[in-house]
Amino acid sequence: MTGLERPPSAAAQVTLPGDDVARPRALLRVRDVAITHEGADAATPAAVSFEVAPGEVVLLLGPSGSGKSTLTLALNGLIPHAVPAEVHGTIDVGGVAASVTSVAVLSTHVGMVFQDPDAQLVTGTLLDEVAFGPENLRMPVAEVLGRSEDALRRVGLWERRGENPDRLSGGGRQRLAIACALAMGSPLLVLDEPTANLDPQGTEEVYAALAELVAAGDRAILLVEHNLDAAIGFVDRAVVLDKDGRLVADGTVDAVLQGRAEELHAMGVWLPTSTLAALRLRQAGYSLDPLPLTPDQLRAALEAEPPVPLPLAQSSPPPESSAEPLISVRGLTLTRGRSTVLHDIDLEVQRGDFVAVVGANGAGKTSLVQAIAGVVPPPRGTVHLDGLDVGRADARTLTSRIGFVFQNPEHQFVAHTVFDEVAHGLRLRGLPDTEVRERTEALLERFGLTAKAGTHPFLLSGGQKRRLSVGTALVAGAPVLALDEPTFGQDRARADELLGLLRELNRDGTTILVVTHDMQLVAEYADRMVVMAEGRVLTHGTTTDVFADADLVERAGLRLPPLARALRGITGHPELTGIARLRDLPSAPPASRPPGSAA
Amino acid sequence: MTVTGPVLTARAPYAQVDPYADAVTAASARFLYRLNPLAKLLAPVPAIVLLIFTRDAATPLAFLALSYAVLLVGVSFTRRLVAVLLLGLPLGALIIGIGFSLWTDPSHVDQSIVVWQIGSWTVYAGAFAVGLATGLRLAAIVALTLIAGLSTTGPDLVRATVQQLRVPYRIGYTALAAFRFVPRFAHELEVIRRAHRVRGAHGGRGPFAVIARWSGYIVPLMAGAIRHAERVALAMDARAFGAYADRTERHLVPFRTRDVVFIVLFLAASAAIFFICNALWGSTPNPRVADARPWGPA
Repeated sequence: MTGLERPPSAAAQVTLPGDDVARPRALLRVRDVAITHEGADAATPAAVSFEVAPGEVVLLLGPSGSGKSTLTLALNGLIPHAVPAEVHGTIDVGGVAASVTSVAVLSTHVGMVFQDPDAQLVTGTLLDEVAFGPENLRMPVAEVLGRSEDALRRVGLWERRGENPDRLSGGGRQRLAIACALAMGSPLLVLDEPTANLDPQGTEEVYAALAELVAAGDRAILLVEHNLDAAIGFVDRAVVLDKDGRLVADGTVDAVLQGRAEELHAMGVWLPTSTLAALRLRQAGYSLDPLPLTPDQLRAALEAEPPVPLPLAQSSPPPESSAEPLISVRGLTLTRGRSTVLHDIDLEVQRGDFVAVVGANGAGKTSLVQAIAGVVPPPRGTVHLDGLDVGRADARTLTSRIGFVFQNPEHQFVAHTVFDEVAHGLRLRGLPDTEVRERTEALLERFGLTAKAGTHPFLLSGGQKRRLSVGTALVAGAPVLALDEPTFGQDRARADELLGLLRELNRDGTTILVVTHDMQLVAEYADRMVVMAEGRVLTHGTTTDVFADADLVERAGLRLPPLARALRGITGHPELTGIARLRDLPSAPPASRPPGSAA
Repeated sequence: MTVTGPVLTARAPYAQVDPYADAVTAASARFLYRLNPLAKLLAPVPAIVLLIFTRDAATPLAFLALSYAVLLVGVSFTRRLVAVLLLGLPLGALIIGIGFSLWTDPSHVDQSIVVWQIGSWTVYAGAFAVGLATGLRLAAIVALTLIAGLSTTGPDLVRATVQQLRVPYRIGYTALAAFRFVPRFAHELEVIRRAHRVRGAHGGRGPFAVIARWSGYIVPLMAGAIRHAERVALAMDARAFGAYADRTERHLVPFRTRDVVFIVLFLAASAAIFFICNALWGSTPNPRVADARPWGPA
């Protein structure tokens, strides 16, 4: 750690020369900031200026790679003091310059909450965890305890102060991280994708805690978030970066998101689902002015409008079930140690289905998919894959029937080059070298990895790693692909890219089985869904049917995707009732639509 | 080493180890929990060092008895304690003892009694005496370390090293944060093993296949470990870790009179055992046993 080390109490009173005392002081002033990481060619962000006033809630938006996370790390000095990078411009935090102040001093001005709740835990109990920061600041024990109690109470975790943080749910651990940031006493809280690793219930918990903070009004919040549907409700201002990391918009949420929605959408900035839906509906002739930002606003705006004469939007009917299911699970019970993780599961999956397996954390989703793929051998006779008893099959036979993609693609890389990684599965089957080369090259071509054939798999970008892991799972010719939480911890752009690839594979005939808890992605891509709770299948049916039963979705610890929430039981527009996916919405004006065509 | 009873182990979601679990709350007779970890760690050290140089069986037996007595009185009587003391240690001592008996160079031992003879391979009773003495010695050393091991939590040990030994807290608390990595990596390793099995990587049996298999796990495990460690480091820095030369301590681990008393008593007991064993058996045993080297070259 470098820079000046000052006692925090003194640092708070420091005033920069020339600072106008009369002007209400902004908590954070960012001026023409450009940050170049060590070894990077270009600066991202490239040119950013904005301010955050006391009590304000600011949303920082931008497409992937625009440098949002980098910028947040610079606000409390982690860049450049802990992560080497070149910082141009000035960042002024509560009157001190971030570039010459130590992270320790800045930590009393800016509290940070990161994406991964597990990577923010240091100690053994909730109380020790929250006290960790104030203790580092050498505060007297009484004040440490006072701050810790206050912070834990504000996120509703005081009653559990003696427990090990491991026992909390993901949402609970992230609330703990917020409490830890609060205990630092900083007037500004910076949260970088705080819900990306959480299930819908956890996300809701975190936002409920944040909403209370906002309501109290004593802290300003800077939020980086791709899940706008959850965040949009209590944000005052939006600051938008473009893909090169330049500031393109800074204003109230209404001015930025409603006024410039189309422009932002074209730039690759994620908008709330309701806004995207409204943009599409506008093309179909709905006026929807001003643009709705939340499901409630969309619903209200639609109800206020006269119906637009449209033929009923008809999603393509689900393919008729053929006689013989491709995957059939009968009475599958799976135990791990002394606990039963799956209870008597019956399930059938037809050839060509795109199935999403959803449920809260610990519902048994991963166990089910792993048992189907033979990653964890199921009891004999319980799982059949195209006639093959998975419980009796050896690994080689299985890989030619079903490919399995783990949550972290790095876990399943076994070779030193991308080429060998793909060829590995073919060589195992003892195919001749020429055929191995041909098929490997064809697959690399298909997944856009030809240029990377000689690279070490670990040196690929995140999206490339994911594509490679899908490729290796399919190279042996498996007609089924199972994926465990492939979108976990990723931003929407990357998740969308992956799901797009899966949809393409699905159209070419691959049956897809995907575990996820991103409900809007499920709505957009899957035909059918399996809802799990406590090791049992709660229901199994088409996406539309399942989302029609809101109570059941709620019971499974899940939430309806935003669009379904907005359009559920809408009275004024029968043509829109029950639509859950954006592409099912009418988008063309009635005149140009051939009657009865799918949207 | 920490005290993690069966109830506490169930807490961590994917772990058998909860390094942060509190010491079990126990009756006041279980005095070991209320001693400074350093006292428990340091008091047996002279005995351990001297045990390394003993050759007879009586001294280690006496120290085994001493440690068992301290443990049975000093820590809570759990199933785990019984398993360790009555099964783990004796079995370990026996296995190591037999192993060393077969390994000992027969030319250095008392050859008066032959236990068995297969062809030209003869095992003498003297070899067993040497081997079992070695096994007992190791068991006694382990039992002495258990005095601290079974009654101390990781965090308390770290606090004691910071508070009494003046180890910089940045080192101590980083070590403490690293405890949290253990269950995480165990889980990650399990996932990696499954993933590699699915890929059909490095199948086959035999030591070379095992080595190839494990070396394949290292890269993904290290990549994940380094990334995680970087994130934890950033999160700790963001909470002013290392801001000052010291930090507020809410949990004091004092070094009190009772710790001094424990150390003095333990040292006295150690000295008495050595003195008595030496007086009674020290000069009598067969000189050939004394200079036998279990690890000596043939």
